[in-house]
Amino acid sequence: MSLKTSNSSTQNNAPVRVGFIPLIDCAPFVIAQEKGFFIQEGVDVVLSKEASWASIRDKVAFNLLDGAHMLASMPIAASLGIGTIKTAMQTSFTVSHNGNGITIGNALYEQLQSFAGSSAEMRSGIALKKFIDSRDDQAEPLRFAMVYPYSSHNYQLRDWLSRAGIDSDKDVQIIVVPPVKMVDSLKQGEIDGYCVGEPWNSLAVEQGVGHMLVTGYEIWGSTPEKVFGVNSAWAEKEPERHLAMIRALEKACAWVDDPKNHTELITILSHPDFLNCTVEQLVYGFGSIKPKGQFDWPMEAYQRFSGHETNKPLPSYALWIMAQMHRWQQLGKIDSLSDVAEQVYRQDLYFKALGVEDASDDSWRLSAEEESEWLVAVDGGKAHFHADDSSRKKD
Amino acid sequence: MSAPPVKELTVMLVDNEPARAAIVEQAMTDSGYRVIRRLENAKNLTEAVTEYQPDMVIIDIESPDRDMLENMSRLTKDNPRPIVMFAEEDDSHHVEAAIRAGVSAYVVDGVQSGSVKALLQVAIARFREFHALRSELESVKSQLEDRKLIDKAKGLIMKHQKCDEPAAYQALRKLAMDRSQRMTDVARNIISVMELMGGSR
Repeated sequence: MSLKTSNSSTQNNAPVRVGFIPLIDCAPFVIAQEKGFFIQEGVDVVLSKEASWASIRDKVAFNLLDGAHMLASMPIAASLGIGTIKTAMQTSFTVSHNGNGITIGNALYEQLQSFAGSSAEMRSGIALKKFIDSRDDQAEPLRFAMVYPYSSHNYQLRDWLSRAGIDSDKDVQIIVVPPVKMVDSLKQGEIDGYCVGEPWNSLAVEQGVGHMLVTGYEIWGSTPEKVFGVNSAWAEKEPERHLAMIRALEKACAWVDDPKNHTELITILSHPDFLNCTVEQLVYGFGSIKPKGQFDWPMEAYQRFSGHETNKPLPSYALWIMAQMHRWQQLGKIDSLSDVAEQVYRQDLYFKALGVEDASDDSWRLSAEEESEWLVAVDGGKAHFHADDSSRKKD
Repeated sequence: MSAPPVKELTVMLVDNEPARAAIVEQAMTDSGYRVIRRLENAKNLTEAVTEYQPDMVIIDIESPDRDMLENMSRLTKDNPRPIVMFAEEDDSHHVEAAIRAGVSAYVVDGVQSGSVKALLQVAIARFREFHALRSELESVKSQLEDRKLIDKAKGLIMKHQKCDEPAAYQALRKLAMDRSQRMTDVARNIISVMELMGGSR
């Protein structure tokens, strides 16, 4: 059984305050609460719906929240003081992998048709590159949107553009648009394309507003997307409750991934307290249903919440994220990226929470010299990340 | 000639709560700031910031548009950055007070920290005042709702028991005391039971 009865000495009985953004990958938090997984583990949790990642970050930093549904890069950015005051945050639990995609609007798609020699050129961005080169220098730059400057969406979009030879700072303009406003912004012509999680790619296709070109999986392989991030000071003060929440979230993730629960899952998530949307909008978020369109999602690209060590924190991915921050001029000088990765992505606590043997390994660690080489390789677009075998490969 | 003229600081206020925005704008204007734009719907927030180049942006912490500003902050030195970035150790309680009050601020490089603090204080005070006003309004509203419920329940009892108003009121009161419930809760129960029995019409 769980530790809930063995440790009744928790002095603080106030509920744990956890923030979430109403996106489909908040599902494990909502399910852990609504299906009683938190309570079964003896933890009283209050979920708080937040309107922006900035709000999640500030409230966790200033103790208005203890932890939250976070982008995998957020605990790293906060711990390094990038874009915010330096506050130690950490994660010992990966909530989801994958689910992102890049979609462009109909108008741009039509213009690219004559530049695409093949559908591969359309999907790789080569057609986009040719189109940009053909344009007048005075033309308004094309505008792409993503969800947050420190996000896989920003980095995947920039990576995809740069592989096609497009300078993501000079040749296009990249702005932030909140996910719920993406499809509408595309429809209104305020943006030409975007990188976002589901269901916002599928909905653009279904509504005939845009064409999806590529999934995040095809750009990066299978990678962590959201994590359970907490204020490190809280984690130190409340280790039992922290670990109990990890156990609850692991059960919730398995529940979310079980197809027989999908109808109930979608019904719960659509509630005004959570995503406040129609059940129909959520169908594309889970399982293998996708709208009819010119593009088929590879099975591996679907969002995944459990199995295959999905929930294990990957310090190697923290290194990858820091290299992305470096590549896109967000990162200052850091003495040891590996030390940061180890402090922020805590594998040891994950194993401890699940009561299994500590299988933390440090094969991912890099020496100072290797780190410098690694940053150069990533900056030049000459390195890839493969979470499936937890290794970094250079071309 | 005494001190050199201090540059008038320009503040962009982004708030989709029009009543609060008006209060905050007035207070900031009274304190000598120039409020250059008050955007209720920050659809073109990025363009507006680029065009008006405010020294500070004050935005509701609950606004979904904050993430747009987060992105601007990395582009150039002149773009506003979140106030938390500027907080020194001893300032962090200012920032915390701001966050608790629901104020978030973005500031460009080179603005004196004293000016930031003074502005924050104005904004925090007005946000709090607005919260207080709103909760007062809500409590008045809920008192009115309570009154309506009790009146409706009384009416149902009078009709059902063929009694007068004081008797119906006494019956309600007794029920509430016997069950140690609030009058409103008892009234709500009576209404729903009567409606179930079709007795409300």
